[in-house]
Amino acid sequence: MSETETESLIGDEARAAIGSELGRAVGTVVKKEFQRWAAAVGDRNPLYFDENYARANGYRDVVMPPMYLAHVTGGVVDLDELRPDGIPIRSGGSGSVQLPRCPRRMAGGDDITFLEPVHAGDVITSVRSLAGLEQKSGRSGDFVLMHFRTTYTRDDGVLVAETASSLIARPANS
Amino acid sequence: MAEQIYFEDVNEGDEIPSLSLEVDRVQMFFFSAATYNGHRIHYDQSWAQGVEGYQDILVHGPLQVALLARAITDWVGGRGRLVNYAVQNRATAFPGEELRFKGTVTGKREEGETCLVELKVHGEKGSGQILMPGTATVRLPRRGR
Repeated sequence: MSETETESLIGDEARAAIGSELGRAVGTVVKKEFQRWAAAVGDRNPLYFDENYARANGYRDVVMPPMYLAHVTGGVVDLDELRPDGIPIRSGGSGSVQLPRCPRRMAGGDDITFLEPVHAGDVITSVRSLAGLEQKSGRSGDFVLMHFRTTYTRDDGVLVAETASSLIARPANS
Repeated sequence: MAEQIYFEDVNEGDEIPSLSLEVDRVQMFFFSAATYNGHRIHYDQSWAQGVEGYQDILVHGPLQVALLARAITDWVGGRGRLVNYAVQNRATAFPGEELRFKGTVTGKREEGETCLVELKVHGEKGSGQILMPGTATVRLPRRGR
């Protein structure tokens, strides 16, 4: 990307954060929370709902849907701590990397390796770091691809999953 | 759920049963609630259209990702397990559109006792517009083990 021709959308502060830990959070896995999530996805997999079925398949209890993991360590947000679009000003996610020229956010992608099943009552610590920021040009103009790495560790020290994820940050509507 | 599928039953080129559905506004509201997501583009139509320039509110990327995962985990059954899942969000989807989630076996291998199957997966809409390309690795049981 030639920065002489293309105006940089990435400020110095954001660039300096590359490679650093953005935050860590702890959360306890709650059965009703992941079951509500599964129901909202329309995913009535009996592994998530039926203790006997889960046991018959080698688990000690109902299993947390693997894709719920990112939500276990989500925090609590005050209503006056939101941007106009409803995204928290500071979040464990992108909010902690300030890209004032690119306020719009969309999911980019995820690459997740699941190492261990997770059950209700497990205490999970997520550690998120900024792996990189890339300015790109797309059909609808320039945008920034934000790359994150997150590890999820159970309280007994076992790594249960690792994620490389990305978010798309776009300039205000043009 | 369907009967358990075993490693021996799977061949390269096999397609997993596809999941076809329409996401409506109520499901989107519940998904926002279940994920503590206050982003207006998923519920505030005037914001999505007027401020962000979309035709309607947007189906959450993570909901699409979860629906594609659902197609995969339904296929692997109670004794199978999702080991790796990688997807990119490429296009937007809107409530009321028919979304389809599909997968094809691209390979299978054994690592010691572990039987792994590789899949190419994607979400699509309309006449086949790709919403999300991706890959997955799943573990399947062997017969008699």
